[in-house]
Amino acid sequence: MSRRRALIVIAALWTASAALGSAHVETFDLRGTVRAGGRAEADAVVWLDAPTAVPPRAEKPAVLDQRNLNFFPRVLAVRVGTVVDVPNNDRVFHNVFSFHDGKRFDLGLYPVGTTRHVHFDTAGVSRVFCNIHPNMAAYVKAVDTPYFAVSDRDGRFAIAALREGTYTWHAWRPGRQDLTGSAVFNPGSVLDLQWR
Amino acid sequence: MALTFFARAAVCCALVAGAARAEAQTIALDVDQSAGYSSEDVAAVHTKLRTFGEVGPGIRFNVTGTWGRQSEESDAFAVAYPYTEHPIVLDAYVERTFLPAGRLFGVRLGRYRTPFGISSESDHAYVGFQRNPLIRYDDFFALSSTFFEEGADLVVGVPRASLEASVGAPGDVGEHTRPRGVDAVLRAQTVVGAFIVGASYIATRPHLAHADPAAGPVAAGALAVDEEEERAPAGERAAFGGIDVRWMRNGVQFRGEYIAGRPFDGARTHGGYADAIIHRPFMGPITAALRAERIAHTDAGIPVLTGERYTAGTRVRLPRGFFAHIEIVHSSAALAERGATAVDLGVSYSVRIE
Repeated sequence: MSRRRALIVIAALWTASAALGSAHVETFDLRGTVRAGGRAEADAVVWLDAPTAVPPRAEKPAVLDQRNLNFFPRVLAVRVGTVVDVPNNDRVFHNVFSFHDGKRFDLGLYPVGTTRHVHFDTAGVSRVFCNIHPNMAAYVKAVDTPYFAVSDRDGRFAIAALREGTYTWHAWRPGRQDLTGSAVFNPGSVLDLQWR
Repeated sequence: MALTFFARAAVCCALVAGAARAEAQTIALDVDQSAGYSSEDVAAVHTKLRTFGEVGPGIRFNVTGTWGRQSEESDAFAVAYPYTEHPIVLDAYVERTFLPAGRLFGVRLGRYRTPFGISSESDHAYVGFQRNPLIRYDDFFALSSTFFEEGADLVVGVPRASLEASVGAPGDVGEHTRPRGVDAVLRAQTVVGAFIVGASYIATRPHLAHADPAAGPVAAGALAVDEEEERAPAGERAAFGGIDVRWMRNGVQFRGEYIAGRPFDGARTHGGYADAIIHRPFMGPITAALRAERIAHTDAGIPVLTGERYTAGTRVRLPRGFFAHIEIVHSSAALAERGATAVDLGVSYSVRIE
């Protein structure tokens, strides 16, 4: 390779790497807390509007487990388009259904060790029950954004891979009105929410 | 409380292990309260407490206690629970289920409902009916929904086809209980599409003895005799076989059981029921339940009891854990001790504390 040709290749690689560098956008995790009446609030769903977010890919299915006559987790947040697995890990049959809001379905009776699936294709809250176990209840909150999280027992949450900018945020928890607002988020931002 | 060795062992295991691991495991308490009034002049109140959780990785415990009062002895509101003067323990067991490579293996130790046919408490108690099927009521020479086993239960197979075997001693609750002795229950179950099909067999001791066949067909209440007199002679055995089918799609469930066997030497009982349980999306909180059933009992070849019953009921899920139950029951003459048609009204409240 002549010296001239080598210089051309090096220049091309330099230009390409610079272009790639300028395309890279730094992301960060937005952390925060949720409280209600002064106490840490678990199972609150926090999400950010993202109208320009890319459509969902074929993501790993979320799981709403049934064991010991209980749903786990009690509140599940998913992105619209997600298929939720609903396995039966009990020794008894279950009949999982949701007839009220959000996604309507009835999975029928199915035995231990088998799994049924629900495609949450619209945004909203689905209240999920078992028709033969009255104390089994869960919520599935489908949101039309990749930026969401559910608060843990200490009321803490983290929304992953956020880009710097101005966002409209929302928060929901069972039995309460949604909270909403707008803020600029950048690395180091904290979103603390409070239901009175 | 009527606790025997196996039940005590299960309770102790649950409590000890639960205390040791309380921080790491979820333990919950279900509280159910119900009250009902039937046009047969029967009133009832009932309380059930159930605690359950995990005492180790995959090891679950379940202890259920109950106490109910009934103004008159009746099968009204007696679905899945007995009415006794004192609080009693129903289930008390630990269990573990394994699903290695798509296979199913489960073990249960303690006191648990007799795994014959459609037997779980939830299958009977929460689908819209407030009375046991005739073939599942302990006054009618068949199998009771309040029969319990104290022993070990194993299930092996794959999720869609399994065999279950239970070996233990009767641990029944309620008015009519089986004497102590070795009990064996076998059950096979398969799931084909929307169908769940099972076959069961039990070899046990009789819980009732001979009525007076010479008296001919009698009313239900007349069958109950003094506790001392109704015991079958030692060494007498009872055996029943049964098939059960369930089908469900889009909120409509059909199910039924047919059970036949020998409740004691020289006698034969057979009968069954067919249920339709409907909970379609447009029905919202309402579940409709329909039942047709029949029972026949002969002693020394003489018909003692033959009857049919038809039930139409509804269960309505109300806010905040309340349910309302309304049921109309029409019985044939042999069963209609208090009238051919009865209306049962009930309300229940259920809450989970975690």
